[in-house]
Amino acid sequence: MSVAGAGTAELTPEQLAEVRRLQGLYPDKRAALLPVLQLAQDACGYISLETEAYVARLFDLSPAHVHEVVTFYTLFFREPKGRHVISVCHNLTCHLLGAEDAIAHLKARLGVEVGGTTKDGRVTLLSVECLCACEMAPMMQVDDRYEGPLTPETIDRILEGLQ
Amino acid sequence: MPKLTIDGRESEVPEGTGVIEAARRLGIEVPHYCYHPGLSIAGQCRLCMVEIGNNPRPQIACNTQVVEGMVVRTETPKVLETRQAIMEFHLINHPLDCPVCDQAGECWLQIYYMKHGLYEPRMVDEKVHKPKAVPLGPHVILDAERCILCSRCVRFCDEITGTGELGIFQRGDHSEIGLFPGRELANPYSGNVVDICPVGALTDRDFRFAVRVWYLETAKSICPGCSRGCNIAVHSNLRRPHHDGGRRVARLKPRYHAEVNRWWICDAGRYGYKFVDDPSRVRFPTRGRGDAAAEVGWDEIVPLIAGQLRRYQPGEIGVLASPQMANEDLFLLRRLVDHLGLAHVDFRVPPSRPGDEDRILIKADKNPNRRGAELIGLGPRDGGLDARGMLRAARERRIKCLWVFHHDLLASAWPEGEIREALESLECLLFQGSNGNGVRLLAHYVLPSAAWVEREGTFTNFEGRVQRFWKAVEPLGAARADWEIVARIGEALGLSFMPDTGEDCFKALAATVPAFAGLSYRELRDTGRLVWDCAGRGPA
Ligand code: SF4
Ligand code: SF4
Ligand code: FES
Repeated sequence: MSVAGAGTAELTPEQLAEVRRLQGLYPDKRAALLPVLQLAQDACGYISLETEAYVARLFDLSPAHVHEVVTFYTLFFREPKGRHVISVCHNLTCHLLGAEDAIAHLKARLGVEVGGTTKDGRVTLLSVECLCACEMAPMMQVDDRYEGPLTPETIDRILEGLQ
Repeated sequence: MPKLTIDGRESEVPEGTGVIEAARRLGIEVPHYCYHPGLSIAGQCRLCMVEIGNNPRPQIACNTQVVEGMVVRTETPKVLETRQAIMEFHLINHPLDCPVCDQAGECWLQIYYMKHGLYEPRMVDEKVHKPKAVPLGPHVILDAERCILCSRCVRFCDEITGTGELGIFQRGDHSEIGLFPGRELANPYSGNVVDICPVGALTDRDFRFAVRVWYLETAKSICPGCSRGCNIAVHSNLRRPHHDGGRRVARLKPRYHAEVNRWWICDAGRYGYKFVDDPSRVRFPTRGRGDAAAEVGWDEIVPLIAGQLRRYQPGEIGVLASPQMANEDLFLLRRLVDHLGLAHVDFRVPPSRPGDEDRILIKADKNPNRRGAELIGLGPRDGGLDARGMLRAARERRIKCLWVFHHDLLASAWPEGEIREALESLECLLFQGSNGNGVRLLAHYVLPSAAWVEREGTFTNFEGRVQRFWKAVEPLGAARADWEIVARIGEALGLSFMPDTGEDCFKALAATVPAFAGLSYRELRDTGRLVWDCAGRGPA
């Protein structure tokens, strides 16, 4: 998907055609709000307040209602995110098998807190609830791959591969 | 229509009625927070649980529609236990601000805790903290910690005003009511969210920390802010006069009327009562113009004014009544005008700017009783002059004596210089009103009128509905209801009809003016009566 310029709210004509297609799939077009927000996030890198207001206009909704949806879901980024997103599971199994150590190691290596993005914009570090992969605990999601079990060594190796 | 049984009592209600409404019709109040009959159903608070038939678990009464043969129980042990658990849930993160919360005393967390809670708190964890004392707009202030997320305020802005300012952001116990960043809650009906917020999350900036609600007295009234005539309650603070700088009217609240205003009022009406305790109030009769004005008693001024009205020929006298006056006042004035044989009578003065109007409640005509003045007949008689004509004639010194009720003629749509010249040319200018204005400053005699909350009476709204308002507070100083003042002057001029009360005036009005035939205060009750069919242009 082409990037319409990071942070800006405007979508390209092709993207707008996709919005209309998605809206047409449901009896109430509001049902397409989530996929359209995803589309906007892919296009802009994150969802700014301007993007929320822009999407609200596409749906004839008040911006407050789009803001409700964006703040409800953790998968919408409200600030520019890194080129890579690491989400460490800290739910029960991972926690028992060392998720806290893995998080501490990541924080030290990346120099950011959980929720933060490295200064060079390379990585955003998050902690999340169950990713449904207890068999590889402790584990994390790196962009769209699952990685685990994690040790300081495997983490270092994974980080080296992220540019 | 389905028949059902609620707590052993049978009832028949229209198809589609919610169980909560069906119960209410039987006088059974199912506790609830998010349900509001004027808004869509959210099913959010879960407090309205009742047992239905043999269903194993309680269900919400607001979003369950009645069906034939339904058996509902609202007070079983299971229901009571559920309610208690839900109260505990709603209060988990509640800050218990009651000692500093304006809502205390009329808060549905307090009321329902005492009725349905009374549990031993089990929470030991730190409560979730949220923003406090956040102004949302000119009238409303938010305390997000006190909010129970019922979404009534959100639905009001979506469904009634269509402005959509509010939303519920974040999730779980971090959920929070708020505005889209950078917006404000400034629609013309914003104050209503304070009324429908069941807790102290939304409070009224105008009323904030002014007086505790348990010191307030209530009187039924009608908003004088425009010709809609919204039904309101006047809340006055008589028992703690030292609170809030002696302001007697503490706040106005909407009063439900199915046809006029439902549950709502506009902000202009809600905050439009400030003139009642304003320093501009006229408190005593005075004689003498400008600096020479001296306070006098009623016994002194009434014969003086009667003398002036006797001194001039009827053709030299003009009367400018006001659509701010009640039907009672206008009727008595008409009696006096007829008695004196005056022809130059009017009540219409165009405002400097046209009033705003919308499709919700607000009417462009900012007077509560224009229709009343029309029906009672306060227009020019037998070729007499209208308001503008009288002022022209005053400039030409053909009208020598003018009796102006309430109007600020110098702030009307007419050229100020011309009107000032007209008023200055008069030999005798009488001003009667509750608050001073430019006309008062030029008047030779000033008569202090009671404000609408200081007396009883009736207004006729734009659609021809006659509605009663009741007295909430005593008149300031020597002020009197307009009809009382007119009656005293009339008495001195030999008018035989002498009412003792507003009700006497109304009786005589009903006996004289066909549109009001058959009406009485009793008959009007709380909801008023339509006397004029505006669509059909005739009596209803
Ligand atoms: S602020 Fe009041 S009305 Fe709005 S959701 Fe919270 S409790 Fe309900
Ligand atoms: S709509 Fe008119 S009558 Fe109703 S509250 Fe507003 S000003 Fe008062
Ligand atoms: S009143 Fe029924 S769920 Fe709130």
